[in-house]
Amino acid sequence: MSARPASSPASAALPAHTVWLLLAGFLGAALLNVQHTALWCLPLALLACAWRARGLRAPLRLPPRWLRIAVALLLTGAVLVSFRTLNGIEAGSSLLVAMATLKLTETSRRRDWLIVLGAALFLLLAACLDGQALWRLPLYAAELWLLCAALYALGAGADAPDSAALLRRSGLSLAAALPFALLLFFFVPRLPGSFWVLPRNHEAFTGLGDEMSPGSISQLTQSGEAALRVRFDTSPPPPAERYWRGPVLHLFDGYTWRRQHGDAARAPQLQFEGQAYSYQITLEPNQHQVLIALELPRAPPQELPNAFATFDYQLIAAAPVDRATSYRLQSYPQHRSLDALSPAGRRLDLQLPPGRNPRSVELAQSLRARAGSDGEFIDAVLDYLRRGGFTYTLEPPLLNLNSVDDLLFRTREGFCGHYASAFVMLMRAGGVPARVVTGYLGGTWNPYGDYLFITQSDAHAWAEVWLDARGWVRVDPTAVVAPGRLTEGLDQLLPEADGEVRGLMSASWIANTILAWQGLNAWWQDEFIGFNFSRQLALLDRLGFKNHDLRIFALLLGAGAGIWLGLIGWGMRARARPPAGDELSRSWRILERTLRHAVEPRAPYESTSDYAERVGRAQPELASTLRALARRYARLRYGPAGSAADLEQFRRAVRGLRAGYRAASTSRTRASSSAPPMKNRPSTRIDKR
Amino acid sequence: MNSSMPSSRPLRFLSEPRAALAATLARWAHARQGDDTLPLTLGGRRIYIVPTAAGVAAAALLFLMLLAGMNYNNSLGLLLCFMLCGVALVSMHQCHGMLAGLKLQHATADNSYAGGLGDLQLLFENAQQRVRGGLLLRCGDCESASFQLLPGATQPVRLKYQAGARGRQRIERLELSSSAPLGLFRAWTWLHLPLEAIVYPAPAGARPLPERHGDPRAGERRLRVGGDEEWADLRPLQESDSPRSVAWKVYARGGPLLVAQYDAPVGVQRVLDFASLPALPLEQRLSQLAQWVLECERLGDSYRLQLPQATLPAGHGIAHQRACLTALALYLA
Repeated sequence: MSARPASSPASAALPAHTVWLLLAGFLGAALLNVQHTALWCLPLALLACAWRARGLRAPLRLPPRWLRIAVALLLTGAVLVSFRTLNGIEAGSSLLVAMATLKLTETSRRRDWLIVLGAALFLLLAACLDGQALWRLPLYAAELWLLCAALYALGAGADAPDSAALLRRSGLSLAAALPFALLLFFFVPRLPGSFWVLPRNHEAFTGLGDEMSPGSISQLTQSGEAALRVRFDTSPPPPAERYWRGPVLHLFDGYTWRRQHGDAARAPQLQFEGQAYSYQITLEPNQHQVLIALELPRAPPQELPNAFATFDYQLIAAAPVDRATSYRLQSYPQHRSLDALSPAGRRLDLQLPPGRNPRSVELAQSLRARAGSDGEFIDAVLDYLRRGGFTYTLEPPLLNLNSVDDLLFRTREGFCGHYASAFVMLMRAGGVPARVVTGYLGGTWNPYGDYLFITQSDAHAWAEVWLDARGWVRVDPTAVVAPGRLTEGLDQLLPEADGEVRGLMSASWIANTILAWQGLNAWWQDEFIGFNFSRQLALLDRLGFKNHDLRIFALLLGAGAGIWLGLIGWGMRARARPPAGDELSRSWRILERTLRHAVEPRAPYESTSDYAERVGRAQPELASTLRALARRYARLRYGPAGSAADLEQFRRAVRGLRAGYRAASTSRTRASSSAPPMKNRPSTRIDKR
Repeated sequence: MNSSMPSSRPLRFLSEPRAALAATLARWAHARQGDDTLPLTLGGRRIYIVPTAAGVAAAALLFLMLLAGMNYNNSLGLLLCFMLCGVALVSMHQCHGMLAGLKLQHATADNSYAGGLGDLQLLFENAQQRVRGGLLLRCGDCESASFQLLPGATQPVRLKYQAGARGRQRIERLELSSSAPLGLFRAWTWLHLPLEAIVYPAPAGARPLPERHGDPRAGERRLRVGGDEEWADLRPLQESDSPRSVAWKVYARGGPLLVAQYDAPVGVQRVLDFASLPALPLEQRLSQLAQWVLECERLGDSYRLQLPQATLPAGHGIAHQRACLTALALYLA
């Protein structure tokens, strides 16, 4: 234990395939992080690896120290310029790629390679932190496998076996490690809360937003990306009531609708009626604070502390949803307001930008003048939209700043956002308080997972208007323009140009496969990714541990780890056990076992022929047979290589002897004692020859 | 006598606490295990294992990963961290398994000269179906022998030991270690084998060889011809013959290994007498005698060693040389 040995096998030059494994492992790790590292990271890593690989053939001239330091400073500067910080996953993994790349240009001591491997492992972790989608799992597993093989290669140094053996060894170790990893996964307490918060850059997410400018969109990209999943305790609501409420937009400047931040008015008291739906929503990360809920939730979710409901019944989370979040809600599609609309609320939802969309204001006022009541006015506007020659399209023409005028009197083409915007604007112009509600409509029922799956392409916008007699009433103007949008998915409404996509979707086996894949994804999200402290406690409950003490975790972990370690040790010994001789000695042992009651077992120093002689002396009737067998054994063992047929013949002879000997000893037993005959073996077992 | 010699290197002082700790541990292990007998199978209980520096660094890395995974409650990141923990523990088992069950069939210590390096020869057997890699065998502070054992292999391993003062030397302790497969852990065991070597006096001294006795004509003739070309007879090589006496020229022509028997009459011999060196202190006397023994062997002369208590009859060859050197080594020891 004292002085380190002067020479260790690891200090010798690494074999070429070890270097290849190491480089491949590092490149794989860099590749898995490619979507969030700086653009120059991957080319840099590739370049360094190519240089290093060239070094396997020609001796490398390593760059001098001052140059390496200069490049290190340069790369750190480049990361700082790219991200304006060194903190966070993006900047951190870029920096890690850069520094590991630089390490590759250093000497090839084992320690340096270990550092590169450590960086690669940390990059793999960064990739895990960035994306936990199920489809990435095989990539991560493959990368882990590769890195583990590289670790074994590095550990073996110059003695490293070939790559296939290394991969096999690494695969075996990972397989052995999996039960332990799962044990820790389930029973290491997931202490809630964050130790530190890394900044995450706010990417542009499709779907819902804080504002909506239908006129600025000329092509709504359909995103099949998951938005949320809903699991119902009760039966799911009929398709026409699957309105998933999200951000409510009040403020209109003639072109863009925006949210009203803060409580602008008092929320009218609600009376819930009809059927209630209890469900659990799993919301995909969307960087918004507004939680999606079926219209209308009774109370904010209890799972999310500090979530609250606003005056317009939006549910707001304490922080942007940056990871898959689950919560339980109870909603009532039927509801009535008990109070009148407060003056502030009325003002807010009647607000219109002065001088904008004059023709639409005029239209609304004339329709309102002809209608007897607010209800009739709504019907008249809907009627106008139904008969006005409007069409539903995802590729509408761009609109000018008077977007509603442009839509109603010129283009007459649009999607839900256009019609919701126009409808609410007309309502307000007619003196009826109204607001735009964005969210999702419908969803696909997944029979494999028993849940409703809602994608970003289910995003929808509709209107809510205030009727003094009933309170806020949902009106979906898109439904009158394209009635099918309500009951069928969006893809059914697409014009012929998108027939290809529709054809694909309608092929049932493809649809089924997609559903199954989504079901698997949901399971992954719910059971694995979403596993947290409360799930751990529930798991303990299910295992029958009623008191949720940290000691229980320690006990389970200790016991499990002990059992696992024992099993691993036992398995390793069992695998390493030498095979019990070849076919020939196994056959000979059968012979010795047969005779074990007749003569003393063969001593280690005793040759087979000596043994045969001894048996012959003790049992003269076996002498000639045994001597012949011993001769045959010696010929097979020490003579010129015998054929497989010879071996087989020997084996048959030994078995024949055994069968004959048993039969003889059974009959002897029976003859000597007059005991009732035992269940004797069928006589066909006696020697076949 | 202890195999580890106190060293005068100044750096040794700095590392002294660690060495002292290692020595204490080794003594404890010796008391616990007792002396080993051959053949020896290494049981699991005598194998000690600790993480290496790389292992400690890996543990720190894993802890960082755990923190990151916990911080984001990131299930996949945590699973990755736990998988790596599992792999590290599996490697601990494997590292232990590099030594556990290993068989030491045979061990011998070659004799050596005082202050020099001697050879140890050990025969290891790996009866198991696994590669035992990264094995390092070390005796004291000498350079370690590194080797690996393939499944089912039996392999001799040669190792140096530091010879102490002349006399009998017991090789107290060998250290067999391995940090395979990942280098995160280092497993080792101490072997306390019944190994004993005889340490000859270091050959030294510049006194001229004593003159030949016996038939002076024969001696002169030998001196005159220089002895290389003329021989009386050739006989087959025997084990006790010195390589120096082999007729290499015959061998080089494709002939058998033969020993040239020179025309040295039986009566002609040199007497190496302890009493002839009264001026020197004891150890230097023995060294001078050892030097003479070697010189006589080199010249192919027959010689007789006379010590106060014993006289070895005249002779030459490896066996005679060994007997003489042993007598010198054990003189009053």
